[in-house]
Amino acid sequence: MTQSAVVSAAVLAMSIGFAAGAAPAAQQREAGRDARPAKNPLEGNAQAISNGAAMFRNRCAGCHGPDAHGYLGPDLTGFWAAGGNDGRMFDIVRYGVSGTEMIAADPTRVLDKDIWQVLAYLRTLAAVPSAPPTGDAASGERVFRANCSTCHMVNGRGGQLGPDLSRIGSARPRTGLAAKIRGTSAFIRPGYEPVTLVTRQGERIRGVRKNEDEFSIQIMDMRERLQGYLKTNLSDVTIDKQSVMPAYGPDRLPDRDLDDLLRYLTTLRGVAETAGR
Amino acid sequence: MRTVIARLMFGTAAAAALSWSVAAQQPAPAQVTPQDLRDGLKNPTRWLTYSGNYANHRHSPLTQITPANVNRLVAQWQFQTDTLGKFEATPLVVDGVIYVTGPLDTAWAIDARSGRQIWRYKRDLPSGLIACCGLVNRGFGVMGDHLFKTTLDAHVVAISRKSGAIEWDTPMANFKQGYSGTTAPLVVKDKVIVGVAGAEYGVRGFIDAYDAQTGKQVWRFNTTAGPEDPGHATWRGTDAKAWEHGGGSIWVPGAYDPELNLVYWGTGNAGPDYNGIEREGDNLYTASIVALDADTGKLRWHYQFTPHDIWDYDSTQMPVLADLTLDGAPQKVVLFANRNGFFYVLDRATGKLLRAKPFINTTWAKEVRGDGRPMLQPNSVPSEEGTKVCPDQTGGTNWMPPSFDPSLNLFFVTARESCGIFFTWKDDYTPGDAFRGGAVQRMGETQVSALRAIDVATGARKWEFSYANQSWAGVLSTASGLVFAGSSGNLMAFDAKTGKNLWHFQTGNALYAGAITYMIDDRQYVLMPSGTALTAFALADF
Repeated sequence: MTQSAVVSAAVLAMSIGFAAGAAPAAQQREAGRDARPAKNPLEGNAQAISNGAAMFRNRCAGCHGPDAHGYLGPDLTGFWAAGGNDGRMFDIVRYGVSGTEMIAADPTRVLDKDIWQVLAYLRTLAAVPSAPPTGDAASGERVFRANCSTCHMVNGRGGQLGPDLSRIGSARPRTGLAAKIRGTSAFIRPGYEPVTLVTRQGERIRGVRKNEDEFSIQIMDMRERLQGYLKTNLSDVTIDKQSVMPAYGPDRLPDRDLDDLLRYLTTLRGVAETAGR
Repeated sequence: MRTVIARLMFGTAAAAALSWSVAAQQPAPAQVTPQDLRDGLKNPTRWLTYSGNYANHRHSPLTQITPANVNRLVAQWQFQTDTLGKFEATPLVVDGVIYVTGPLDTAWAIDARSGRQIWRYKRDLPSGLIACCGLVNRGFGVMGDHLFKTTLDAHVVAISRKSGAIEWDTPMANFKQGYSGTTAPLVVKDKVIVGVAGAEYGVRGFIDAYDAQTGKQVWRFNTTAGPEDPGHATWRGTDAKAWEHGGGSIWVPGAYDPELNLVYWGTGNAGPDYNGIEREGDNLYTASIVALDADTGKLRWHYQFTPHDIWDYDSTQMPVLADLTLDGAPQKVVLFANRNGFFYVLDRATGKLLRAKPFINTTWAKEVRGDGRPMLQPNSVPSEEGTKVCPDQTGGTNWMPPSFDPSLNLFFVTARESCGIFFTWKDDYTPGDAFRGGAVQRMGETQVSALRAIDVATGARKWEFSYANQSWAGVLSTASGLVFAGSSGNLMAFDAKTGKNLWHFQTGNALYAGAITYMIDDRQYVLMPSGTALTAFALADF
């Protein structure tokens, strides 16, 4: 009896197998942290590593990549080498990372034992030494303001046609960001699918889809206007393959500017709360 | 003062006389009798069982609302509960009053004309409830002045129809070991027949009958065959006790054939869901339909839809009883649109398979052989690396009830297309803990759904209406040629012959149940649960 109710905004989260349960209160969270061991009780256990490998492929690999070296989500293999510990990683899995697609693991579906098994598997993966950071963040912020902030908000400043990037440094690895900017990543976050509407009068309206049912569609158009349309008034609704975000090839964004921009983006970890949110 | 008192006395006496005379004129409150339940929807002011009649047709004889006038259907009232969660229940209607169960073991009696609450019931639930898939309930059963329901802590209770007070309360199993009650009861003669959910926690499923008056258990049928049962040899593998925590849960009601005196129930998935190594064999009677003697619970026949289920393909859908002409001969059959993606027609006296045909894209099996067993496809076994299988674990359909129009011989079902990557790992059984042995990564790009009309004689698709999202809504049809179903919060009406969409209403919340219809004061209502609200519709200019 598995009844996964899916709403569009949660498609990604559901697809990686973490169903959102009741939001854990801060009190419960603290109690949970006290209750769990600081060190993985299953580290080195052969059965746990085997189970953890399958669980990782099922629940984590969709975002973190088949080898945990990062895809949409960050590389996990360097976590311990960078000073992380078992308890911290357990808490990230159990409680999620606020402001990112990494949502809490429902304790009725994902047992503590399951999380420890995944961690036991992760510890068997060789960490690829991360390259020393390159690029200049201050310069990158200027690149961002010139090219990106019309559509993307950071800490309360910028446009809203694209996703808020205030925490993007916690949510995406550098490689994933580069692929998105260069236009080689096909991933489009739910709620930002590009759509073209054609009215009965022949007007074409482009934007991103916020919601849709059999009789209506709700979008944000390219001027950031939220608007709903009845399908009886439309002659065509097309979900486009190409993101509304243009591809920034080397002609539009030289490698050095990209390097600076990536340095800036990877610093965005939501330290400053977004105003009004 | 004396005058005032005299007037009061006179007034009281007059009121008493008036009330006596009114009482004398009004019929005594009607009881719901076993014959009423057998009559199903013959009296269309009532809706007395989960799917309207014992055959689970969900097909009303009402004809006031038609394809020609359904565009004038408007909301008459809305009942908002004060409860989180969602309705998966089918409301019952008895003589102008709606009785409906809600999430977290709540229930209400509601005036069917106005939507006003009459009483509210709320069970004090213990902490530590274990339920895999929502703290829901699928509705009441009714007999006499009594309502019956299962509870999340795995009890079955009788409730007074007049007050909402508990009349008896019988535990079915220990909820701390993962047992829970969510099914609506099937009330047959003097018995309340129910079952338990919990196959994701290693329960041993069963179907129980309780005495409607006392709550005393009358019989039990275990859905996993123990050492004393025929079929026990279908539990092989490395775990000799696999049958003890082998699943086979019951979470929607069955059907009843009064002539054969048989009840029919679909049974849930085998456990652990995705790892079958420790339970080699067919694992009877999981993922099956069982026909039981209504008086004794003895097994008359069984048919297993998914032998050795390793895809979480619960057969907890509605068995629909029909009398058809197949190949020129009359046949008493049971129709079954299964979560595994096949539409089955079985002889309901013997269990012999007569037809089986996919109603969605299936890759675990493409066809069912002449001997009744599915022809499994290669590379469909869940694995540590992940195996793509269609449909995913949510299935070609699920608990949402279908309807059947006997005049058109059309079966209307919410059909869901999907694929998933099935992973497996080793879970050790611990009472009360999740016991799945794997999980499924659902493939969002494969997920679509539709309302489909299936010709029951051939299994062919007569028409479909594609939804924008994956629907969890049930179906209702009426003798006027309408089908009510929906998706994305929209209750919709369709022409039963063509599938043309004729009307819709955005209810404002997701649909996880089916509509019902009833007649009061010569006015036909359509009642739809959505989210935790009920909305009643009727023709605007009636």
